[in-house]
Amino acid sequence: MMSPLKSGWYRLPGLLRYALQRLGMGAVLCVGVTFVSFALTQVVPGDPVTANLGERAAADPEIVALYRERYGLDKPLPAQYARYLTRLLQGDLGISQQTHRPVATDLATYMSATLELAIVAMVLAMAAGMALGIVAAVWRDGWPDQVIRVVSLAGVSVPTFWLALVCLYLFFFKFNLSPGVGRLGPGTPAPEALTGLYTLDAALRGQWGLLREALSYIALPALVLATYTTGIVTRFTRAAMLDSLGHDYVRAARAKGLPAHTVILRHALRPALAAIITVSGMAFGRMLAGAVLVESVYSWPGLGLYAYRSALTLDLQAIMGVSLIIAVIYILVNLAVDILYAVIDPRIRY
Amino acid sequence: MSFNRSIKARSRLALAIPLGLFALAAQPALAQDTLVVDANFQLKTADPARAFEPTASLVLHPVYETLVTFEGSDVTRVVPLLANVPEISEDVKTFTFTLNPEATFADGSPVEVSDVVFSLERARDLKGSPSYLMRGVSVAAGEAPGTIVLTTEAPDPALPFKLTNLALSILDAETLQANGGTATPEDGAERFLAETSIGSGPYTLTKFDTSSEVILEANESYWGEAPAYDRIVVRNVNSNAQQMNVARGASQIALNLRPDQVGSISDKVTVISGPAADMGFLFMNGNPEVSELSVNPDLREAVRYGIDYAGIIDFIGEGAVQPAGIIPTMIEGALPTEQVPTRDLERAKAALARSGLSDPTLTISYAADLAKYGIAFADIAAKIQSDLADVGITVELNPESVQANLDNYRGGTLEMSVQWWGGTPHPSNSLPFTSGKLVGLRAGWAEGGSPELEELASRAEVASDADERVALYRDWQTKLNEVGPFVPLFQPPVTLVGSTEIAPLEYNPMWTVDLSDVRKASE
Repeated sequence: MMSPLKSGWYRLPGLLRYALQRLGMGAVLCVGVTFVSFALTQVVPGDPVTANLGERAAADPEIVALYRERYGLDKPLPAQYARYLTRLLQGDLGISQQTHRPVATDLATYMSATLELAIVAMVLAMAAGMALGIVAAVWRDGWPDQVIRVVSLAGVSVPTFWLALVCLYLFFFKFNLSPGVGRLGPGTPAPEALTGLYTLDAALRGQWGLLREALSYIALPALVLATYTTGIVTRFTRAAMLDSLGHDYVRAARAKGLPAHTVILRHALRPALAAIITVSGMAFGRMLAGAVLVESVYSWPGLGLYAYRSALTLDLQAIMGVSLIIAVIYILVNLAVDILYAVIDPRIRY
Repeated sequence: MSFNRSIKARSRLALAIPLGLFALAAQPALAQDTLVVDANFQLKTADPARAFEPTASLVLHPVYETLVTFEGSDVTRVVPLLANVPEISEDVKTFTFTLNPEATFADGSPVEVSDVVFSLERARDLKGSPSYLMRGVSVAAGEAPGTIVLTTEAPDPALPFKLTNLALSILDAETLQANGGTATPEDGAERFLAETSIGSGPYTLTKFDTSSEVILEANESYWGEAPAYDRIVVRNVNSNAQQMNVARGASQIALNLRPDQVGSISDKVTVISGPAADMGFLFMNGNPEVSELSVNPDLREAVRYGIDYAGIIDFIGEGAVQPAGIIPTMIEGALPTEQVPTRDLERAKAALARSGLSDPTLTISYAADLAKYGIAFADIAAKIQSDLADVGITVELNPESVQANLDNYRGGTLEMSVQWWGGTPHPSNSLPFTSGKLVGLRAGWAEGGSPELEELASRAEVASDADERVALYRDWQTKLNEVGPFVPLFQPPVTLVGSTEIAPLEYNPMWTVDLSDVRKASE
């Protein structure tokens, strides 16, 4: 006879069961990520003491001993890792050696900046990429298609760092269409944090002037960050749409006299969405990774810059925190993509 | 066709989103009395006693004050600030300061002897990076009211110069203690100090974000001369954006432009360019267990005279200088610049011939991922490789990560390396280059390596008479150049760029620019 727990489990909707299973696997994966990142930080040559203490302090055994004790570096490696895991279970990611603050606090601050940039860039890339892909497919081999193919190829080919600099030069320096670098103007107080996303927080609090300022600052870096993804989404949308448009059911829909936009957006686009969502999930992960270059040029205080500084100063707790949070995001995005499959394609059941 | 129109309309709508975002873009209006400064942040903490990064000195110098300070760019003598210039005992071990009775903290409370004693003891006993400044120094209230007596274990004429360091700032002890401040490594006041400031300077700290910006507001009740700006915003901005910001007037000061970046905007800004008080140097390890080649005195001479120093200075750019000795040019005791070594290929080749080595190969190690003042160590190493090839010495490049390079350097295991040195602008700051001392040991030069040099160093360190001190430091450097494993290469250029809205800036090696002293051009 089935145990109540087991029978309760099987009474859950299939999709929920699937999501819970994936989350459980994700948790195991996260532990694996902490182990790998811990091991790698130990393999990298260099001593955090050297990286973080001044010349004279690093030559003082008493100061060095205190430093090692403060950050738990005086313990054997297995003990250090066990201590990290124990604290992680309590939500404590340790103290950053570069900022002297809890890593969890740092991640909340920097992650929200990166997420805001990535989400806006993703919205722009999806909107523009899908629109361009549809237009290119509908006008296959016509001049709009030719132009869009060249533009999308340029989008995926152009180096992000170079594009960021050129755009800053043109839109800020030359034509004054952008207010410049940063998340807000110099000295402008950030909206009181609800989500950490300035645009959303300003909107939720009804601070419309601040919302306008935040949008004006995020526009240029988000557009630059969106360029590559726009190119990718355009190409995938075009290919998927061309495939859909060639099917009998689309021809049948047209023959029935349905309006063209209904045929395109309901009958052709919907089956194409699975491929588009797949590539979008991957592109979002790449966007987070690529954000460091855009953050660097636009002085955007995000996770990329934090990770870079952590690596330079061998800030072990911060490196592990960043690795963990990136892993969590990848797992959640992939889960969301898999769930969306079921939403858009009734044939898929979990 | 309706299909085409519909799709076109939707596509246009999608494409309009990014364009619409641009429509929002406009320069937000800045408060008229705000000074905006762009810098590449190297910033960890707002606690002066823990701060040891250049950006911390820049942003906290206007907030916290020290007993004595430097005026403008002159770092050869200290001037009064919270206290007078100290009375120094004959044995140069006792320093008596008298507090300025006018001095007050931002909350209006007076700066008292107890604040000084606690602040200095805390800086010493926190055991942080700057604690070495107070090593062996005891602090006590003097017999007379308002006096503080600092006593050193050994004679230390450099102590007043060390006391200009931000780390030895005076904080409101009572408030600090009420918020976790203790004079022990367990001190817990750092987070409190990131949210507020308890100094006596012309500004107070209102925002401290190590990744994006620091905001200072004028201290309304400042006890000295009021600053020109109501507010200072120091932003973390990379050098490319700094160049555009200052040229467009979006900022008033850019601190990290390279000489080539300044050239293209020089008609829109004022530029101050000069040497920094840091020193780039080469060493050849003196430990035969590390290398039998680099200990060879003739090979060392060949290297010393084979390097194209003028070429290095040209290559680094305007503002860089070649020092004649290991003490930077603007510091008391520096060797006259007429004594700088120059390239002499004949002498270098003759020295190589004398060494008895044929086709020697040296390995130069450097931090490949590090550039200071825009100068990449990799470029300097490549230049040395090219210069020494003309002499007949093969140099193999060994790029390392900055951490690995620092570890190896501090472990004394590098055969040849380009390194960096800076610190308190006092000649004693260079004494660790003596055999048996900190930098000497890193270059494999153990105690007893040069007894004459060590004797000169110990005399120079305690010399209280200025003329005698200068003479001793010069003799010490001349000897170091003769027998030491070090080759001073360059002092990097510092380029300060200001918009035309402000008066010309002054560079100070300790805090780069005194932001509280920046004046409007119209004043």
